[in-house]
Amino acid sequence: MYSRKSIQLVLALVLILGSLPLAAQDDQINMTMWVRAINFQTQELVDQWNANNDSQIELTVIPSGEFVTKMGAAIAAGEPPDIASIDLIYTPAFASAGQLVDITEFVRALPYADDLTPAHMNLGLYEGRNYAVPTAVDGSFMAFNVDLFEQAGLDPENPPSNWDEFLEAARAINDLGDDIYGYWFSMGCAGCNAFTFLPFIWASGGDVLSDDYSEATIADDPIVREALELYNTIWEEGLVPEGASIDNGSNFVSAFTGGNIGMAPLGNFALSLFYNDHPDLNFDIFHIPGKDGGAASFGGGDVIAIPSGTEHAEEAWRFIEWTMSDDPQIEIYAANGQIPVRLALVDNKYFEGDERQSIAASALAVGHTPYTTVYNDLFNDPNGPWLEMLQVAILDGDIDGALELGQERFTQIMEG
Amino acid sequence: MHKQTALLNLSWEQRRKLTGLLFVLPTVAFVTVFFIIPLIMTIYMSFHDWPLFGERAHIGLENYQELGKDRQYLKSLDFTFRYTALVTPPIFILGFILASLVRRNIPYIGIFRTIFFLPVVIGLGVSSLLWVWMLDDRIGVFNKILLDLNLVPKAQLFLGRPNTAMNVIILSVVWKTVGFTMILLLAGLQAIPDELYESAEVDGAGYFRKLIYITLPLMRRFIALALILSVIGSVLSFDQFYIMTRGGPRNSTISIVFWIFNNSFTYFKMGYGAAMSIVLLGILVALTGLQLYVLREKD
Repeated sequence: MYSRKSIQLVLALVLILGSLPLAAQDDQINMTMWVRAINFQTQELVDQWNANNDSQIELTVIPSGEFVTKMGAAIAAGEPPDIASIDLIYTPAFASAGQLVDITEFVRALPYADDLTPAHMNLGLYEGRNYAVPTAVDGSFMAFNVDLFEQAGLDPENPPSNWDEFLEAARAINDLGDDIYGYWFSMGCAGCNAFTFLPFIWASGGDVLSDDYSEATIADDPIVREALELYNTIWEEGLVPEGASIDNGSNFVSAFTGGNIGMAPLGNFALSLFYNDHPDLNFDIFHIPGKDGGAASFGGGDVIAIPSGTEHAEEAWRFIEWTMSDDPQIEIYAANGQIPVRLALVDNKYFEGDERQSIAASALAVGHTPYTTVYNDLFNDPNGPWLEMLQVAILDGDIDGALELGQERFTQIMEG
Repeated sequence: MHKQTALLNLSWEQRRKLTGLLFVLPTVAFVTVFFIIPLIMTIYMSFHDWPLFGERAHIGLENYQELGKDRQYLKSLDFTFRYTALVTPPIFILGFILASLVRRNIPYIGIFRTIFFLPVVIGLGVSSLLWVWMLDDRIGVFNKILLDLNLVPKAQLFLGRPNTAMNVIILSVVWKTVGFTMILLLAGLQAIPDELYESAEVDGAGYFRKLIYITLPLMRRFIALALILSVIGSVLSFDQFYIMTRGGPRNSTISIVFWIFNNSFTYFKMGYGAAMSIVLLGILVALTGLQLYVLREKD
């Protein structure tokens, strides 16, 4: 007969043994990763990593418009994520504040370091040190509905190459019916319009910031006024649905998938959505045109970085390095219609024969990305001067007032 | 031994004071930790260039001097007080009417009191989202009703124009908060003895005379309480603008707290945000003092 004590002892032993695997799990590295809403391939990268590695990554999606605010608050509270997929445009702000881990040595050790997309690498540089590498390459371009082009008697093989042709195409498609519109813009979304409207200005040789990004040139550059007039015409003539005026970006992509929008300025991130969720959508793309020809694109997308304060910097880099290796770049990026972050991999089996991908990739060649630590305050902030200027000019038609307001508030922010 | 006797040797009066002190101590501790210390920290921060992360620097009164030059700050102050002036009367008039309707304890009156009070229980964030959907131009119920009744030629973008945005937000806030004002005023109404009305009726007083000479004067305290709570709530409003319009269109609905939030957490200028908060605190103290003075008991 067993004494009560020995039973208790056995029970205690069982409990201790049972808890051992739990204790072992505590040694395992658990990392958190933040990403803004629109990255298509990130979930798949993380899933594959978690399936094949001891360390685990928990992915949190932060809405684009709130990313800087949330990230800033998390850093200030001492609780940053271990890995952050950041809109490349914010890298100078975070790097200059000393909030990202210096990864210069890691980057130098990469055999393909010189082959990584230049815009992202440039934005990830601060005072000659690397703080980020590319993870999502996203240039802006114009998508158009081939069926509507044909119905309107336009030639899909020769899409518009200047503003006049662009406006005529929008009008012709708009005339097809009450529910059909020539164009779409999300005029309640600050970032969408930095991504898609700035290229209209750049392609015409103008800019809203001086070459060294030290001052605003809104009031002095005649192209800025003309580009605002172009969009104002589009709005006044009803070439976009009325709801576009208050869309905060939630219909930035989906508006075009409805099939009743002739043209919409978008970016690479939209291609993977179209391929995967709307295989029947008959679309093609062209470069955002300048006033008298030319083309431009916003070299956008995300970089991936390691916020200061993480205990898992080495493991975080191991993940980052893996995402840039051949297999994920081809089988996750290219297979989903995403441009690889290494230029040499753009020629791959998935992109072969798809002209849209080569146009999208060539958009990167005419890509432009402003380098400023106050980018968010200037452009992406929903209450910032960029969106207010656009709304006053385009929706209210007060272009003089908009230019004055934009110049004044841009200057105020840039002077600190 | 001496220590113990020292305590026991206290006079009755002294012990009474000590007991009183012990009773208020938890409240004092609470107020100190959650109000006094943060307040002192905010004042301290307001004299600094205090980024959310990075180096801090003492800059004296510079943040306060900056306020006068901040166009949006002045615009937000103007907007916030215009909003408060517009939203307060409907809340009070409607609150008073509802309180009068549900005043008497007749059968099933509790059902109506509950219905009128129900929106108060919903969070302001949730109710704001609810209204965003109800006001939508494609799927919203308001546009459906207006279109079906042929009152509008096409779907309206209520939140897309500065003046309609303000009006529909006021509508949503009145719906959301009127129940609370109703409850406060109801307590005031029920505190008035029926005998006063009966004798007034004997003297031949009609509804409005009773309202002006009996109801309103005797409700002074309850009105003061409801008014102060409502005005403070309106001046400090944030959620509805953040959720329903994001400050738009054309930055026309950025309330003062919204602008403080933006500066502190989006532009990372915590010191500047702190300076604005201190000024706002001063304005609120003055405003509340004024209301208390106007609605003070005359005797």
